[in-house]
Amino acid sequence: MLEAVNLMVFYENMLALNNITINCSKGKITGVFGSNSAGKSTLMHTLSGIMLDIKKKEEMIGGEKISIFGEIIYEGNEISMLKPHERARAGIVLCPERRRIFPESTVLENLKIGSYLTTKKEKEQNLDYVFNIFPHLKAHANRQGGFLSGGEQQMLAIGRALMANPKLLMLDEPLLGLSPLYQKIVVNAVKEIKETRGLTIVITEQYARPVIPIIDYGYIIENGSSVLEGTGDQLMDNPDVKSAYFGV
Amino acid sequence: MSLGFTLVYSISRLPNFAHGALYVTSGYLVWLILNKIGLPYPVSIVLGIGLTGLIGAMIYRFALIRIRGMEISEIIATYAIGLAIIEGLRWGGLRGSTYSLPPFMEGSFLISGINVDYQRIIILITGIAVFILLYLFTRYTKIGLALKGIAQDERAAMMLGIDSDFTAIISLAIGSGLAGFAAVFLMPLGNIVVETGYSVLIFSIAVSIIGGLGSWTGVILASFIIGFAQILTEVFISSHYQMVVALLAIILTLLIKPSGIFGKQKELEDRV
Repeated sequence: MLEAVNLMVFYENMLALNNITINCSKGKITGVFGSNSAGKSTLMHTLSGIMLDIKKKEEMIGGEKISIFGEIIYEGNEISMLKPHERARAGIVLCPERRRIFPESTVLENLKIGSYLTTKKEKEQNLDYVFNIFPHLKAHANRQGGFLSGGEQQMLAIGRALMANPKLLMLDEPLLGLSPLYQKIVVNAVKEIKETRGLTIVITEQYARPVIPIIDYGYIIENGSSVLEGTGDQLMDNPDVKSAYFGV
Repeated sequence: MSLGFTLVYSISRLPNFAHGALYVTSGYLVWLILNKIGLPYPVSIVLGIGLTGLIGAMIYRFALIRIRGMEISEIIATYAIGLAIIEGLRWGGLRGSTYSLPPFMEGSFLISGINVDYQRIIILITGIAVFILLYLFTRYTKIGLALKGIAQDERAAMMLGIDSDFTAIISLAIGSGLAGFAAVFLMPLGNIVVETGYSVLIFSIAVSIIGGLGSWTGVILASFIIGFAQILTEVFISSHYQMVVALLAIILTLLIKPSGIFGKQKELEDRV
């Protein structure tokens, strides 16, 4: 479904992504694990096209020079020059790190803004679907996004991304700062989304443990390079990974 | 009229300092269409407002798109464009008091001894109507919601498929259209003079600062406050001091509560 080949991203001379090749197969959950500053978010931004916007803004203010190399192939097309909203139109939707919901809008309005690309009928269906997965959101539908708790905000962010009718859903650190209870809710929801809608999902996380049971294939990146890949079990069994990412 | 300024600012975070110039331009455009081309008054009003909106959109498309995100440059650029338009109009012959628009309805009536002409009543009613329409627009239409999303978190909105350049063009067009709208309704009260461009700009900024940038309730309240303050100065001191009141209000607000009455931006001092 989505294939990134030899991705390289430089901030000035600093190598943020080094020759990363990842493959997300259709209908599967792909995990990307790595510590802080390993390049997870850079990878997500590059795949979703936000990097192009960051690059443009930096150029305008004469800031950091960002260079992007490599190919991104999505459903057979090379998309590395497409702008973020064009990629969203093609079905690639990123649910960003730290949630970034619209704090001044209500829950319902957040979801409605998410449905910008869809028809009215799809919007109604998606809304039902999101409220079905996250009944919590329905209860707080008229509350301002900024007043929600972290876990609720994360649900809202995922729900908002779903409203855009994605084919490929990218979740950047969805468990960041959540309590174990909410982590469980979110992880179960992701699994349910995959099963009920057949979405292709990419999920990044620092700590692999809560996510690894639901992934089909995973990559571990360190300092911008992909150091290991394999199915969930293969990653679990690797002794280096065990000590570094599971805290065993 | 400040609504346009606040709308554009709160949606695109673009301070459009060409607002006053657009106000005058649209008045002049309506006058041109009405008197030189000879179309009926309602048609020229619609055309004038539409053209002003188009000019706003073009300002973004050809100038602001290059400096998006650098606030100081945006202020300088829009101010320069505004100056160019105003002085261009002056050079083009918009001088003296020969230009004026007819009121929509002649005549006036008495309310408890005070003479109120129909034009002012129309202004009040349409002002309220525009406000309600805008409220509904940002709440229930796709584009309105997209504008709101972009305003709150541009990149998050982009990830959902909203094109930030498109929404900025729309918001500038609407903002400019509102300036034009205000012009068409307010100008029949007096003559079309280029200098109003400057005072409109100052008034808009004053209202936005006092009400708090991006806050609509604040804008309405502030425009009432300044409006009454100006009337009081006119009655009790002298009409020359009207502009001083607006400027003084800016200074006082920045000293006492820099984010404005209902302002959300804490770093307002840095922004303006």
